[in-house]
Amino acid sequence: MSHAAAIWLLMLLQGTLTALGERTRDKMYEPILGASCFRRLNGTHQTGCSSTYSGSVGVLHLINVEADLEFLLGNPPSPPYAPLIPPHLFTRSNLMRLKEAGPKNISVVLLINNAEKMKQFSHELNCPNQYSGINSSETCDASNPANSWNPWGTGLLHEDFPFPIYYIAEEKEIDKLKDCFEKFNNKNYETHALRSLCAIEVKSFMSAAVNTEVCMRRTNFINNLGGSKYCDPLEGRNVYATVYPRNSTPNAIEGTKTDEKFILVTCRLDTASMFDGVGLGAMDSVVSLAVFTQVANLLRQILPAQSSLPDPRRNVLFVTFNGESYDYIGSQRFVYDMDKLDFPPKSAGGSPIAFENIEFMLDIGTLDDIANIKLHALTGTQLAQKLLEQLNTYAKSPRYGFNVNIQSEMSAHIPPTSAQSFLRRDPKFPALILNARPTNKYYHSIYDDSINVDFVYANTSQDFTQLVEVGDFKTLKAESLQMKVRNISSIVALALYQSLTGQEYTGTKVANPLLADELLYCFLQSADCPLFKASSYPESPTALPLPPMRYISVLGGSQESSGWTYRVLGYLLSQQKKIPKENCTILPLHFFAGYNNTGECRLTTQNYSHALSPAFLIDGYDWASGQYSTWTESTWSQFSARIFLRPSNVHQVTTLSVGIVVLIISFCLVYIISSRSEVLFEDLPASNAALFG
Amino acid sequence: MTLPEFFGCTFIAFGPPFALFVFTIANDPVRIIILIAAAFFWLLSLLLSSLLWFAMIPLRDVLAFGVFFSVLFQECFRYIIYRILRSTEQGLHAVAEDTRVTDNKHILAYVSGLGFGIISGMFALVNVLADMSGPGTMGLKSGTEIFFITSAAQALSIILLHTFWSVIFFNAFDTSNYLHICYVVGSHLFVSLLTLLNASELYITTLLINYIITIITGVLAFRVAGGTSRGFKKFITCQ
Repeated sequence: MSHAAAIWLLMLLQGTLTALGERTRDKMYEPILGASCFRRLNGTHQTGCSSTYSGSVGVLHLINVEADLEFLLGNPPSPPYAPLIPPHLFTRSNLMRLKEAGPKNISVVLLINNAEKMKQFSHELNCPNQYSGINSSETCDASNPANSWNPWGTGLLHEDFPFPIYYIAEEKEIDKLKDCFEKFNNKNYETHALRSLCAIEVKSFMSAAVNTEVCMRRTNFINNLGGSKYCDPLEGRNVYATVYPRNSTPNAIEGTKTDEKFILVTCRLDTASMFDGVGLGAMDSVVSLAVFTQVANLLRQILPAQSSLPDPRRNVLFVTFNGESYDYIGSQRFVYDMDKLDFPPKSAGGSPIAFENIEFMLDIGTLDDIANIKLHALTGTQLAQKLLEQLNTYAKSPRYGFNVNIQSEMSAHIPPTSAQSFLRRDPKFPALILNARPTNKYYHSIYDDSINVDFVYANTSQDFTQLVEVGDFKTLKAESLQMKVRNISSIVALALYQSLTGQEYTGTKVANPLLADELLYCFLQSADCPLFKASSYPESPTALPLPPMRYISVLGGSQESSGWTYRVLGYLLSQQKKIPKENCTILPLHFFAGYNNTGECRLTTQNYSHALSPAFLIDGYDWASGQYSTWTESTWSQFSARIFLRPSNVHQVTTLSVGIVVLIISFCLVYIISSRSEVLFEDLPASNAALFG
Repeated sequence: MTLPEFFGCTFIAFGPPFALFVFTIANDPVRIIILIAAAFFWLLSLLLSSLLWFAMIPLRDVLAFGVFFSVLFQECFRYIIYRILRSTEQGLHAVAEDTRVTDNKHILAYVSGLGFGIISGMFALVNVLADMSGPGTMGLKSGTEIFFITSAAQALSIILLHTFWSVIFFNAFDTSNYLHICYVVGSHLFVSLLTLLNASELYITTLLINYIITIITGVLAFRVAGGTSRGFKKFITCQ
């Protein structure tokens, strides 16, 4: 009796506890936040990764040392497995072995952000954009990585994996995985097949397959009313601006060329990485973008009025190309447009610019090691010699103390930069490239961040738009990245000044290192930054405190980085006008918040041009021809990952067999009972009589 | 949970009721109608219980309160269906092809009890089964691997209990046996509150007690329906 009372008491106690509205599902699954690798296609191949349609499931297995992989690659007891790999073991050989083991043994690969032992991490090819540059074996030799443009490249970005690869950055999420592995999996490996094991499910199914040709055909084929998309071309916007406003001639007859002469200064806007939404490309492109912006700002402020130039038709055209990581999408399109006299775009107005209008092109390539910059050109021309001399005049001048020595290389060993698109059209095109010796061990990877470039934000809150005296370091150290950017951009800008004016620059004002500081901060750490604020409309909503996405993406993608570059170039390359806010509404007049948020009306020159590969414009383009970039990105419906306990086969079979046995027994029993019920209930008629009597 | 687990649990919980349905209900349309009607009345009781739970905002978190009233509502509706069936007995007798339905008053009780049980078992288990879809099983954060199998067994016991309770309950009102009525309500309340212990993962304990009560109730129902130990012996020995 006391026993029963105890049970009642216990039940009442339980009942008064607060009930948690928790679903069974929440107890079974734990979501894991991360970034997934996805599929891209070109004219001939598919690259990247995809899960199975319903999600790939693998048993977690932490790889601490290379030997741990052997367990998975041999004859694992309970396949498929999902190895958790730290970056230093995420090598080409390991990944290829996992790929060979196939989806039967390895169903998911997890990359955990544990960078301690990492020495290098680049998934780009040894020769980036090898097949879309100038056709020369001298340009880059993949068989000799040490002398290639990306010596540490593994080329994994261009491999096709039969399993999803998921990158987990946050410590908290990694701990979840490790704890689960330790608790359920990391013991008695022999009995894995008999136990329930901690497993992960990754859903990242890619709808495109084979190559761009197949996928575009499938997308364009109208086989149902809804119309489904399997892939989208990589597509973005180039940003351009001129140092002097162009004379807008609204009455210009369409198609007539202008007699303007341009110096083209270009750089790359985008970067690439293996994982969706991760990867800043600090060293591979933000540094050059910073130099590019500084050059623009310095030139605009030191140049005299256009009419007082020796040749008043001269101007500088600054263009930053998008999608250059994927076979020069932006510059290919720029060249294609210019050939057809479609640049600038009709919407922007102004007469078309042709190749004849370009005096020369100075392309700012990757500047890994700013002390070791070379001026590249395909052939040694007088122009190249002259510019090299001018550059070195300022680089070595004791007046400025930059102490840089710019060397030159006149050969087909040309770095993989936008200029290759121009040289490919015409090898005689006067293209000069500033590029440093490759030292970036994290080229096109998730680890090419502010740590890789040693960037520390000075956060001085001082005016970054004004030029400074050459001796004024603005509290920055001489060896800091900001000062290096200041030096090289001053050298380039002053050399260009000399080409334009024909006179040596004698001033002492040079580029402001704080501008580099602010720009690098905006692009590497937070878009909620003073420079972006200054170049927005007053009282614009604040940007997210995250760096802008710099992957070119597809139509309808974020396009953050081109948007911000457009505004920054607009702000820095414009002239302030005394026009009230109300009248400052029609482009090229644009109202900016300005450095101190007072609001300024400026006469701007910046604009967008379309960065979509010409391959998608030409009817009946031969996708395998290799003439233009053919990169497309597969569509997907979701990226998600969750960990849970995967029941062992023994457990599943037991449950099912118990169920089947119960079913069979109950059928037999009920049949026997119902067919012989008169034996069981023999005195029934009596009770019936009582009821109906 | 995986597909084999899903089918295993479904078979455990609904295999016996399905067998009962196939052999004792399916061949008589009147019984099917009564089964569905009983299921409908159980749903009405659920509706009332949920309305009460919804209205009593401060007591929403106290599960025991909801359980208590839910049991009372279910028993009230069992009484209502008893009254309805008894008042329509003559009519049923006229339309039924198989007059055993009305000749043996326990058959009506049994059919309506099974209707009650099946729907209540479904509500108890379907939520769990639906959440089971996916590759995982219980036990990552809390709960044990046997959660699904115990849930299925629990659902089965509730289905059987409802069948037995109805048989006892109907007969008790026919014969004014108040002790039996109290037993039905009391054991229903006890079993329902017992499941609250599952929150602290005492699955084996609750399941064991549950099945002991199921067997006791089953024996009582057997006796009430006119079964005797002599008949049982004859049945076992196949005479």
